Amino acid sequence: MAAAACGGSDSPTTASTGGASSAPAAASVKVGLAYDIGGRGDGSFNDAAAAGLDKAVSELKVDKKELEATQGETDAQKEERLRLLASGGFNPVIAVGFAYSAAVTKVAAEFPDIKFAIVDDGAKGANITNLLFAEEQGSFLVGVAAALKSQKGNVGFVGGVDVPLIHKFEAGFVAGAKAAKPDIKIQKKYLTQPPDFSGFGDPAKGKTAAQGMFDAGADVVYQAAGGSGAGVFEAAKAAGGMAIGVDSDQAALPAYADDKDVIITSMLKKVDVAVFDFLKNFAAGTVKAGPAIYDLKAGGVDYSTTGGKIDDIKSKIDEYKQKIISGEITVPSS
Amino acid sequence: MALPPGPLVYSHYHCLSPGHYHRPSTGTPQEEAAITTATATEPAVELAGITKRFPGVVANRDIDLHVAKGQIHALVGENGAGKSTLMKILYGMQRPDEGEIRINGSPVAFHTPADAIAAGIGMVHQHFMLADNLTVLENVILGSEPRKGGVAVDFGAARKKIKEISDAYGLGITPDVAVEELGVGDRQRVEILKVLYRGARILILDEPTAVLVPHEVDELFDNLRGLVREGLTILFISHKLDEVLRVADAITVIRRGTTVATVNPQDVTARQLAELMVGSELPSPETRESTVTEVVAFSVRDLTVRTADGRAIVEGVSFDIHKGEVLGIAGVEGNGQAELVEAIMGMRPLASGSLTLNGRDITGWPTLKRREGGIGYIPEDRHRHGLLLEAPLWENRILGHQTRRPNVKGIWIDRAGAREDTRRIVEEYDVRTPGIDVDAAALSGGNQQKLIVGREMSSDPLLLIASHPTRGVDVGAQAAIWDHLRTARAAGLAVLLISADLDELIGLSDSLKVILRGRIVADVDPAEVTPEQLGSAMTGAGEGA
Amino acid sequence: MSTFLDRLFGRVKLGGWLAVVAPLLAVVFAVLITSGVLLVAGKPPLDAFTALAHYVVQPSGAVLIINFATQYYISALAVAIGFRMNLFNIGVDGQYRLAAVVAAGVGGAALLPGVLNIILVMVVAVLVAALWAAIAGLLKVTRGVSEVISTIMLNAIATGIGSWLVIRYLGVRSGNELATKEIPPDSRVPGLSVIPGTSAQVTGFIVLAAIFGVAYYVLLNRTRFGFDLRATGRSESAAVASGVNVKRMVVTTMVLSGAIAGFAGMPELLGGSYKYGTNFPTGLGFTGIAIALLGRNNPVGMAIGALVWSFLDNSKNSLQLVDISPEIVQIMQGTIVLSVIVAYELVHRYAQAAKQRRVSRELAVPSQPEGAAA
Repeated sequence: MAAAACGGSDSPTTASTGGASSAPAAASVKVGLAYDIGGRGDGSFNDAAAAGLDKAVSELKVDKKELEATQGETDAQKEERLRLLASGGFNPVIAVGFAYSAAVTKVAAEFPDIKFAIVDDGAKGANITNLLFAEEQGSFLVGVAAALKSQKGNVGFVGGVDVPLIHKFEAGFVAGAKAAKPDIKIQKKYLTQPPDFSGFGDPAKGKTAAQGMFDAGADVVYQAAGGSGAGVFEAAKAAGGMAIGVDSDQAALPAYADDKDVIITSMLKKVDVAVFDFLKNFAAGTVKAGPAIYDLKAGGVDYSTTGGKIDDIKSKIDEYKQKIISGEITVPSS
Repeated sequence: MALPPGPLVYSHYHCLSPGHYHRPSTGTPQEEAAITTATATEPAVELAGITKRFPGVVANRDIDLHVAKGQIHALVGENGAGKSTLMKILYGMQRPDEGEIRINGSPVAFHTPADAIAAGIGMVHQHFMLADNLTVLENVILGSEPRKGGVAVDFGAARKKIKEISDAYGLGITPDVAVEELGVGDRQRVEILKVLYRGARILILDEPTAVLVPHEVDELFDNLRGLVREGLTILFISHKLDEVLRVADAITVIRRGTTVATVNPQDVTARQLAELMVGSELPSPETRESTVTEVVAFSVRDLTVRTADGRAIVEGVSFDIHKGEVLGIAGVEGNGQAELVEAIMGMRPLASGSLTLNGRDITGWPTLKRREGGIGYIPEDRHRHGLLLEAPLWENRILGHQTRRPNVKGIWIDRAGAREDTRRIVEEYDVRTPGIDVDAAALSGGNQQKLIVGREMSSDPLLLIASHPTRGVDVGAQAAIWDHLRTARAAGLAVLLISADLDELIGLSDSLKVILRGRIVADVDPAEVTPEQLGSAMTGAGEGA
Repeated sequence: MSTFLDRLFGRVKLGGWLAVVAPLLAVVFAVLITSGVLLVAGKPPLDAFTALAHYVVQPSGAVLIINFATQYYISALAVAIGFRMNLFNIGVDGQYRLAAVVAAGVGGAALLPGVLNIILVMVVAVLVAALWAAIAGLLKVTRGVSEVISTIMLNAIATGIGSWLVIRYLGVRSGNELATKEIPPDSRVPGLSVIPGTSAQVTGFIVLAAIFGVAYYVLLNRTRFGFDLRATGRSESAAVASGVNVKRMVVTTMVLSGAIAGFAGMPELLGGSYKYGTNFPTGLGFTGIAIALLGRNNPVGMAIGALVWSFLDNSKNSLQLVDISPEIVQIMQGTIVLSVIVAYELVHRYAQAAKQRRVSRELAVPSQPEGAAA
């Protein structure tokens, strides 16, 4: 189970962040990558995967082909997308997002000679690599930041969709905030319930939810809501509050240039690193099946300091970071 | 007005083929003297030979109309006589197939209402087209806003112009009141002002008094007289004869799509006008031999129907119809006839009263059961209630009989049976059609009606409700339908006949009742009564006499 | 005369060759528009159409297209039966999803063995969807609530109830997937290996869909109920006068539409993923509306429409292989629906004008002697 594997330090392999590309160039490698809904340009999760792929294209000289998903797809359609890539001579095939869980399991079995990777999911198979992240660890750190920055002792968490993956963000954030300030008040809200996944792409919903939190006394809100996060930033700006971004260093993204003043930090989930690592290992012939955990230790998750708004508390956050890395603190993942 | 008395103008009687049910178009010598042509030297609107056809029906045929400048000219006719089509043609909403329109002497061709407005024609619709939440000013200028510097709306100029118009014609309108605060009469004046604002010199008023109470009608008429004093021309559409006689300078009567006479209101009575409206052809009396039996087929007791707001629209109506009897209900349209029929058919709930068919109490029966129980129904509006226009004839044969042979077998439609029987109806009732697979809409009105009559007769009903059975049908079809009704009556059918055609009523009925404001006000012997007497009884004029 | 809506929903028949001309015109028009868009985007249109054509001949692609078309078709039938009597069941979407959630819960619980469980699942789905649709019908006849409004709202409520059921009671977590318990293998509807060259199977529900198509035709055209339904759709006033109990028809038709909608999720539940989870198809109800419009509520027309729609939906991937944005498919789908509507309207007006001219000619002849007699 992915959740179990993520939580502990007993993971089969702990990925190492890639340094300079020492691997031999592999011009013959054709990478097929299947995005989740939103695709390249979503300013979040898919874009991070795209960045890893682009880096591989320029540094490892691989060929690429990208396919996008659409709303309301079934497993059969996702399978067909992976199958199209696998049968079209693409190897490896990377599936971005846990939505591909069932599809990748099935198609990987049909194509035993092709290597598959799936982001955020623990689908099992002899030729499937699971690129997993310890989101709870990164979230713990931004939870600490939120608690320390909050003057009212009241912070909020906005989750895009009420799914286990996002529960990890919530759990880490709550644990971090409480660790820094035991009596802190934490408001929590999920924008939609599965199977309604619009919570990952509806800024209006994010804005309403965050507004409610600011109105109810919060002054820092952390969003793990994909595209809906923009609404959370807007609400923070309107309410004179603070917000915490997710996945990418959102204060540094041009898309959020208007909101960068309210984004005090972002929880970094380095999908790009994971994707690039996987491709590098593939080129080097060292791909291992099974989970590759990207945690704090491996540099797979982190927090950002763009804008310098948390410079004053950086040392405290880093203390917690070291404790997590050393295993002194175990962050709950649910 | 110093106008010479003209001859009787039955100008288009010759268009009707002289069937044996029609007398030639003559009135008594007195009537001829009374009915005079109203002509004027300077016509504002002239229509000549206007004909408009729709698939299956001729809405207007050879319409001639001369409206003198500075007059109130009334256009009267029954519902469905073709008044509204004519007005749509004059207002550019429809184009005539034939004929010529001249405005102030010069021929015009209107493609849209905008063309008509440009020519100085304004239309005041029966239903007001005002936005309630806007002010009078905003409503008036809506769509023709004066511009300041090309962009901003010049409210000042508009307000000034509205005041000027209002004062000039004595309309008494305040520009800055919200329309929702105005009464019906005021709203109507706003509508009139709206068309004047757009420069109309010729106003068409479509049934303007339909929504007004009596003192508002008086005010309206004062306004209208004020407008013509200022040189405007008014075309006034109505079927309320007393009002028309009060206000009009000239009256043109339209019947069955064509203009039948133009008269001077000083010289006619409401009764004569009514005659012109419904036609005064008398069926040959020798066809009337009583087939009335002693057996009561259908009886209505104390029937009351209320509108949604609780007003009694049919009140305490009772009657019996015997087998072999045609009971006619005479009345000016809108006096509860339609509601009475719908109540009998089960399409409208009864407030009180009971219905008995062939000894069985059918008061609580739904429409379908009443039909199965032996009521046939020729509806007033065959397009709305009698036919599926876009369905083939054989499917129309099934309509209303979808539980009975030969149309169905159990839960299944019996196509072969229905088609076979449709062919029979087409044959027996002389429905002129290329086949039974054409849509009902493709047939002329008369042939549609013959199909309906044939269908309703085919299940051997005990009672036939015939609501305006020959309205809008050509003369040949009319004769055929009358024949079928007579034959069925002779075979013992009870018929409830509702018609606006007094001659049809008198000619077909074995007994006649007059309905006025939802009540039966008189019993009339059709063998004795003249259309004139019946007409005055219908308007309530005969009540005291 | 017929209204635009009558023509839109196929309540007005177009005779003979005109019925073929309209959809042909629409397809040609859609291809032209799409080509224009592609040219503007700097992509050769031929590549796009070749890629699309190439996809359909791949065995696994063909299977996927057929399987999706099956779901679309069932949904379209549910929509169409309402359209035929002027009822706009926008709620097919909520009806099938709610039905699928409950049915998935029941099926996953495996209360009955084997085939009995399949039957139970389908009965539950039909009942749930029919009852859900009945709410809109009852609201319409008792309170005059437009079924468009109520079904849209019921869709949202169905989504909420569905999520609540899955999260609270029925859901089983595995990783990030939250889904109902899988229906046991002995209670699954097997696929048919009819397309050679792939292990993918055509859903067994295609048989049911075909039966539904025939039943739809027979019900509407050969039964009293169907006659009443069509009569009400063509002219409610005439139907009332003929003795049709329109209120009862509204409720019955809504229930029937809902019952069919209940089947829309069954191919996926009993023959696809065997569970209701995050990857359960959404929006089938809205696709059904588009297909009912495309096929003008005709059972054969809708089958073709469903195949075309499914083909376009599922061939997006192959477009991306030749570097054409998959959004072009949405443009194409939109254009086809729009141009079908426009084409039918144009053809109808042409036919209407022709009829009018003919009638005018016929009427003109007898009026001649009348005028001459003057």
